Amino acid sequence: MSTAPLAGRKRNWSPMVIGALAAAAVLLAAGVLMAVYQEQLYSAQQAKSIREQAQILAASVTAAVIFNDQKASQEYVDALRVNPELQAAAVYGGDGRLIAGFARATRLPSTMKEASASAGIGYIDIAVPVSQNDSQVGIVLLRALTEPEERRIARYVGVILLLTMGALVIAVLSFSQAALSRRAQELSRLNARLYEEMEERRKTEEALRQSHKMEAVGQLSGGIAHDFNNLIMIVKGNLRLLRRKLGTQAENTPAGTYIESADEALDRAAHLTQRILAFSRRQPLTPQRVNLSTLAQGLTELIRHSVGEKVDITMRLNGTWSTLCDVNQMENVILNLAINARDAMPEGGRLVLETRDVTLSRPPAEMENENFVPGDYAALAVIDTGSGMPEEVRRRAVDPFFTTKPQGKGTGLGLSMTFGFVRQSGGYLAIESKVGRGTTVTILMPRDREGP
Amino acid sequence: MKRGGPLLAVLLGLLPGSLDAAPSLEYAVKAAYLPKFIPFITWPDNAFAGAGAPFTICALGEDRFAGKLDQAAAGLRAGDHAVQVRHLAASDAAANCQLIFLPAGSDPASMQATLDAMRGKPVVTVTDSGLPVHGVISFVIENNHVRFDIDDALADEDGLAISSKLLGLAHAVRMRSQP
Repeated sequence: MSTAPLAGRKRNWSPMVIGALAAAAVLLAAGVLMAVYQEQLYSAQQAKSIREQAQILAASVTAAVIFNDQKASQEYVDALRVNPELQAAAVYGGDGRLIAGFARATRLPSTMKEASASAGIGYIDIAVPVSQNDSQVGIVLLRALTEPEERRIARYVGVILLLTMGALVIAVLSFSQAALSRRAQELSRLNARLYEEMEERRKTEEALRQSHKMEAVGQLSGGIAHDFNNLIMIVKGNLRLLRRKLGTQAENTPAGTYIESADEALDRAAHLTQRILAFSRRQPLTPQRVNLSTLAQGLTELIRHSVGEKVDITMRLNGTWSTLCDVNQMENVILNLAINARDAMPEGGRLVLETRDVTLSRPPAEMENENFVPGDYAALAVIDTGSGMPEEVRRRAVDPFFTTKPQGKGTGLGLSMTFGFVRQSGGYLAIESKVGRGTTVTILMPRDREGP
Repeated sequence: MKRGGPLLAVLLGLLPGSLDAAPSLEYAVKAAYLPKFIPFITWPDNAFAGAGAPFTICALGEDRFAGKLDQAAAGLRAGDHAVQVRHLAASDAAANCQLIFLPAGSDPASMQATLDAMRGKPVVTVTDSGLPVHGVISFVIENNHVRFDIDDALADEDGLAISSKLLGLAHAVRMRSQP
């Protein structure tokens, strides 16, 4: 991954982080506003308190000012010394001249004019008129120390610390939260991929195992069937010799009947071994060039006969490509599939026999075969509207001797044989099924390009 | 502010009640004080002849103010009443006065008679310093400063109410009996 998209993603903060930062900023701003408001309130309160003291002094000192009584004025003013906030207090006569007062660190202004001129930073000067019957006879001036910056800051430092910590905690939490959720998303993405890969691997292993199983079963059963076939032939030959030996004696005698029964049983056994050999791809095939549509067309009557009245048959034979296969076996296969379809529709239904020309670059879904070769195929599909199969049945459908039919009704070799024949002929078999909807069995035979 | 004429005012301003200068300064201070008492004292309505009647300061006997009292009271008003100054002989019956000044140097018996006559009436009697007799307010000289005593009990008898501010400023106060 290049760095550009990475950087882009980094800058792309989640709304949660932005929200949290905004909340932190709002918190800080609110704190500052509150501090400023408190400060103003405090200043106003201080000024108010000083003004009240000045008013009290002005009211009580009136007579002393009128009678220019410095001593009495001084007594009144000195009463304010108990307030450490006050830097200076002074009483001025009507002409602005100082009558009485005190001053701490600051110098006491000797006239009212000077007092108003010397107001400075760190002080507030409050002047209140001394009046008698609506006429001003003097002025009281109080000078109070405003709180020093350090003390003001010290007063708010706790709150500021708390607010800052709150904001920091919010920021850190939101950042870590965002990082966590990013990690979690990444993890879940990776996890999903892991699962996908595991599933793929499982499917591949399954297919491999299935293929190995089929191979092993095929070889085993094929070997047995081959030897068995030879034995049957020996028994059959000996039976023939026995019949010849008995000659006409055997006719209409129990011995003849025994030989006849044994011979029939041997025929059945031979047929069975033939089917096993077909599944194990060891049957002798005589491939011929054939068009599946033509083949199916020729089978229409037979199929109709086999499936009975209750099943409606539709032929959609659009395939034009030819393929190479054993015609007899292919006929068997089609018939077999039609009969399977009928068995799936005991109450009747619809059977569709379809041929198509398809060009495939990858195997269709539900493909049972491995090692798919992309290319042109002549496809033949047998579609029924029967009971369908659950997945686990569908997956085992081509296993030899696997059958859902009642005991004695099927050998479980029909689809196995079909599968074996198709593979031996270089084709593929796909089974799609849905319970209650029906089954579609598709045979893909490689196109034979040699002919017309 | 060294403009000769208002030297007195300057002295008054700087050293109120200080008497280290000529004896006339003492009376200049007293002349200034007399009208200043007025705002701190409440007279009953029956002290005046009528709503538009003047507020009269009566200086009995020898005039020691040399016009200073008239100057100090000029243009003043006591509530709805214009303040005026009348100079009367010591023996005169001080009628229609709201404030009477009894200077030193007069006949003590005559002064006592006046004080007795004013007793129970809404009239503030002011006696000069160094006198054996005392009115509602009596001037005293203390440390070369003009100050005053107040007989609040007598004021109470006369139906006068004296502001606590003025009482607080007094040299000595004879308290009115507690009700």
